[in-house]
Amino acid sequence: MIPPSVKTISFWLVIVLFALFQLSQADAKAVVDQMGRRMTVPDAPERIVALAPSITEIIFALGRQDRLKGVTTYSNYPPEALILPKVGTYIRLDLERIVALNPDLCIATKDGNPKSAADRLTELNIPVYAVNPRDIETVAQAVIEIGGLLNAEEKARDLAEQMHARVQRVKTQVAKTDQRPRVFFQIGVSPIVSIGTDTFINELIVLAGGENIAAGSTAYPRFSREQVLALAPEVIIISSMTRGASFEHIKAEWQSWPKIPAVQNHRIDIVDSDLFDRPSPRLVEALELLVKLIHPELFGNP
Amino acid sequence: MAAQTSVTKRLLLVIVLLTGILAAAVLVALSSGSSREGMGASLAIIFGQEDANTTLETIIWHLRFPRVLLAVLVGATLSLGGLVFQALLRNPLAEPYILGISGGSAIGAIIGIMLGLSRFPGVTFCAFIGSLATLALILVMSSGTTILKKDALLLSGVMVNAFCSAVIMFLVSLTQDARLQNIIFWLMGDLSSADSLTTGILALILIPCFLVLFFFSHAMNLLLVGKETAQTMGLPVKTVTVVLLVLTSLMVSATVSYSGLLGFVGLVMPHLLRLIWGPDHRVLVPACILGGGAYLVVCDLLARTLPQQGEMPAGVITALIGAPVFIFLLKKSRR
Repeated sequence: MIPPSVKTISFWLVIVLFALFQLSQADAKAVVDQMGRRMTVPDAPERIVALAPSITEIIFALGRQDRLKGVTTYSNYPPEALILPKVGTYIRLDLERIVALNPDLCIATKDGNPKSAADRLTELNIPVYAVNPRDIETVAQAVIEIGGLLNAEEKARDLAEQMHARVQRVKTQVAKTDQRPRVFFQIGVSPIVSIGTDTFINELIVLAGGENIAAGSTAYPRFSREQVLALAPEVIIISSMTRGASFEHIKAEWQSWPKIPAVQNHRIDIVDSDLFDRPSPRLVEALELLVKLIHPELFGNP
Repeated sequence: MAAQTSVTKRLLLVIVLLTGILAAAVLVALSSGSSREGMGASLAIIFGQEDANTTLETIIWHLRFPRVLLAVLVGATLSLGGLVFQALLRNPLAEPYILGISGGSAIGAIIGIMLGLSRFPGVTFCAFIGSLATLALILVMSSGTTILKKDALLLSGVMVNAFCSAVIMFLVSLTQDARLQNIIFWLMGDLSSADSLTTGILALILIPCFLVLFFFSHAMNLLLVGKETAQTMGLPVKTVTVVLLVLTSLMVSATVSYSGLLGFVGLVMPHLLRLIWGPDHRVLVPACILGGGAYLVVCDLLARTLPQQGEMPAGVITALIGAPVFIFLLKKSRR
């Protein structure tokens, strides 16, 4: 038998290498995330770590929770997320725990997670795909993107369509009235903090037919009680991190100022801050709740 | 000549002993962490006996190792800082954090961060300027001959610190900058930002400084005896003092810009080591490098592993240990 020549060997080597390359390509795809970073992610990622509570909610909504191997500390919705391994808070991620979970994909939010953490995970060969949900429209877009990554395109499209439809319904409801009550949305108690124009809560208030009296270029403006009195809000909505326990106390503080229209008309309400400070698909729920609080007359409650 | 040999002997003993302690601390720190992997598996990887578990390997060499190395460098720097200030100001309670040097660096660093400068050289340079400014202030305040020197120095340090923290809170309130999100953790002394690149840069700045300080260790002995004596023995007192102070400020400000305010490290280690091996700086400089490194590694290990969820800033641990030591030393020095 004649020994094969170097040429033949190299020819076959090239073919084999090419085939291997093709195979490895078949398992992965190149994508560009919302931070403009190019990366290779698995075609069907199986071990996902969600780096923000909103991402956890999106993955559960897409029915892909079986692939979710780690979530952040305050990922409390849906309740099933509570039992998943924790990897620190979205601001202070515990990189060691993330790496120990051996993820094949981490999903981050552009504005929430520190860029340095994403960069370090990338250095350790863990792809970090950042979405950028800032309002209802971009949440729907993030749902589509994550659905694409997790092989749940159809479910994602349904979810996005549902969100759009529910927003549309609220718009139709609000169109029946031309009243735009002056809303003060309080996210911080001490100091008093509200939300400016460039936030999704502002978008929700406007969509729900209210006027945000804290609108302005500062994202999270601080207020003195004096300023709030001067602005005379007709509705006060408190989204407190501390919840229930101290709500009566916060409410009582406002009630000692009967000149405020919201106090006269008993229009002080508390809402679940998880619903309002997470860019998750539940934002439409938040919107529907807000319409009922701002325009109770549309629902037969004068 | 006999004295010379005894110093060499003591130096060797100190180096061998403290290197052993440092190595043990580093090993424990490398093999413990929030992922709660078995210590045995970690040790096997560190000693290269196992190569199957690549995840754990990544954790040890890419996450824990830069951090442990940063702890060694910062601990060594702050201990040396304490040693130098105690010798030059001839005050056993002097320490970069207590004097307000760290606070001044922190102001510089925050201004650097707010200006959007990169961590190195921008932020480090701003921190250096801040530390020099506070250093000048302290020297001016403590140079008067009419006031009780020791207490005046400490009081001025307390006031400089109070002023610095007010300026820091002022700057933080002015901005809603996302880059300052972790500022509270950083201010309390936090080593979690360590990665290979930053730790490498810091090592390049600090290790030459360590060598220079060792070179000046005999001069520090002379200065401790007294400025006049040192002068008569041919030491250019002014030059040496300025070089040592500026060098120490550079080192401290470099560590502050990476790891924030870690208090009292420069108090605990120099005193402990002086208690064991006496006041010879030729022994104390290397001892502070090794011992201070080991001390901060242990403090950071506690900070990483004590909380069930997440971690606490290492500065919490150093202050919990250091502040009582300070009070004890203050009481003792009054007697």
